[in-house]
Amino acid sequence: MGSISALHYLKPTRTANGTSLFNFSKNRISQLPVAFRSYTVKSSVLETPDVPRLAETARISLNSQEIEEFAPKIRQVIDWFGQLQAVDLQSIEPAIRADTEGDNLRGDVPEKFENREELISAVPSFENPYIKVPKVLNKE
Amino acid sequence: MLSSVQTPRLLRFQSFSLKCLHTHPTTAPPPPHSQILTIRKSLLSREISAVDLAGTFLNRLRNTEPHLKSFLYVSDVVLKEAEEIDRKIAENEELGPLAGVLVGVKDNICTSDMPSTAGSKILENYRPPFDATAVGKMKKCGAIVIGKTNMDEFGMGSTTEGSGYQVTANPWDLSRVPGGSSGGSAAAVSARQCMVSLGSDTGGSVRQPASFCGVVGLKPTYGRVSRYGLVAYASSLDVIGCFGSSVADAGILLHAISGHDKFDATSSKKEVPDFASQFTARDHLDSKPLKGLRVGLIRETIEDGVDPDIISSIRGAASHLEELGCTVTEVSLPSFSLGLPAYYILASSESSSNLSRYDGIRYGKQVFADELNSLYGESRAGGLGSEVKMRILMGTYALSAGYYDAYYKRAQQVRTLVRESFRAALDENDILISPAAPSAAYKIGEKKNDPLSMYAGDIMTVNVNLAGLPALVLPCGFVDSSSVALPVGVQMISAAFEEEKLLKVGHIFEQTLHGCSFIPPLVADELAC
Repeated sequence: MGSISALHYLKPTRTANGTSLFNFSKNRISQLPVAFRSYTVKSSVLETPDVPRLAETARISLNSQEIEEFAPKIRQVIDWFGQLQAVDLQSIEPAIRADTEGDNLRGDVPEKFENREELISAVPSFENPYIKVPKVLNKE
Repeated sequence: MLSSVQTPRLLRFQSFSLKCLHTHPTTAPPPPHSQILTIRKSLLSREISAVDLAGTFLNRLRNTEPHLKSFLYVSDVVLKEAEEIDRKIAENEELGPLAGVLVGVKDNICTSDMPSTAGSKILENYRPPFDATAVGKMKKCGAIVIGKTNMDEFGMGSTTEGSGYQVTANPWDLSRVPGGSSGGSAAAVSARQCMVSLGSDTGGSVRQPASFCGVVGLKPTYGRVSRYGLVAYASSLDVIGCFGSSVADAGILLHAISGHDKFDATSSKKEVPDFASQFTARDHLDSKPLKGLRVGLIRETIEDGVDPDIISSIRGAASHLEELGCTVTEVSLPSFSLGLPAYYILASSESSSNLSRYDGIRYGKQVFADELNSLYGESRAGGLGSEVKMRILMGTYALSAGYYDAYYKRAQQVRTLVRESFRAALDENDILISPAAPSAAYKIGEKKNDPLSMYAGDIMTVNVNLAGLPALVLPCGFVDSSSVALPVGVQMISAAFEEEKLLKVGHIFEQTLHGCSFIPPLVADELAC
């Protein structure tokens, strides 16, 4: 379905300038128990990154020059991320971190932070006892 | 001239040992010694005062800093703190294990009495209201923080050119990068601007600069050192690490900062061994001090794409380990190459979340705006650098609704594969070795505009972070560039929480590596006096 075309797009581009790095991967990937084309991608198609939209989501105001500069670089890296689509990972559990040791959680007991004044002094605009921000309005 | 019948292996080994000797043609330099233990002895015997010692380092820092630019901030209370140490000595008070030791601290590690900007303009002049746990522990041991070291903004980079403030130079060749992101901390120890330093390592940011600058770099096990007060980049990978000019110093510093901390739920409750106390002095080593140690040379790290000079140096290091009694065999990590894209997916995704806190509201740079979203957007646009913005955007993409399974989850699955392949390799070997980077230090500006070629430089180190394992990088030789010899480091990797083993092997390795001196020409003459 839709995912196949998306994954064609996401196949790593083995261009001349990337060869030294990806040569590593060619051999190794082929040694993995790869059942190619067993994708876990959901029905939605993976679209090319839309940089202005991402910038809005991430709350970073980019000017047009930055968008022009970043877009090809971001696309190149996202393309390169795509090589993981070709690896069979279906039966592999994800690891949320290194898991060298379990959590050592403490009790959820509030404690007083001693250096309150300095904490407050870092706030760029403060009117005791409030942190001041511009008006938050429902525009639409 | 070398005859054509020599085997490649022999050729490599010869060039390795020659390269070690040629910087010191007349006398063989002594092996590195622990600066921390040496000054402790001198202070206790009153041969030297802490104030004189601090003065010497401050002078050297002043003389070399215009060339290197490794510090973003230099403390103005160093001498005052040294006076306090001298007072304690005069009154026979107990001295902490780091008394009088001058430490550089990477600028993403919080210090309450100095700015902590993480190399970013968005945190310009920011002073945290607390010390990072690692900093607090060092201070309690008597260490003196000499200043805050330069870094790639928020740790995102491999050259230190990504700092929002200045570009740090490599002490071995000022036209080259010191590596990164802890480039300031590595350069500062290399040029003896401080005795030891703290860095942080998310994907190799302690180990690669250690290799580029010819110093010892230690990345501890994930969880060994509390990250309370470390500016978060990618929380599933970040660790605080140590730089020193000897293995002993890196080990002593690690001992001081390790241990559980209630402010970091990921910090381990495992016992912290006294890493450096078991070291054998060089004169007491027998001829095969590492007899029986099984060493695996990671095959994927000495293949195409790696500088041939680096491969020779690492093979030279392997030969040296064999001479010390180790059995060295090649070992394969099948998932090795997948680690790099998986790492960059995880790191950029986690950073997009972690860095959302820099919004100009509670601290840092605020740009005036009459609407809240514009205030966020403009403050972030003005305060964050290009590489950081791009990584946040990539992470935002990878975490977008519907894409999570394709990117973040897949990367986490690769992490499981990486962990398993390390486990298998470390079942059969006591330690693994590899280069710390595919090349020696490159020219400033060389890779600045090509993100993928810079990311490719992290191939040797990122897998270790994915698996959370400890790794020690120590200088093992030189490669020739056009004008000067550049240092190369070998990376030694062990199972989780086996830093003690790495340090013991590393110590024997450095003490027996004859003919090498890893003091850069910039300060060698002064130190020889």
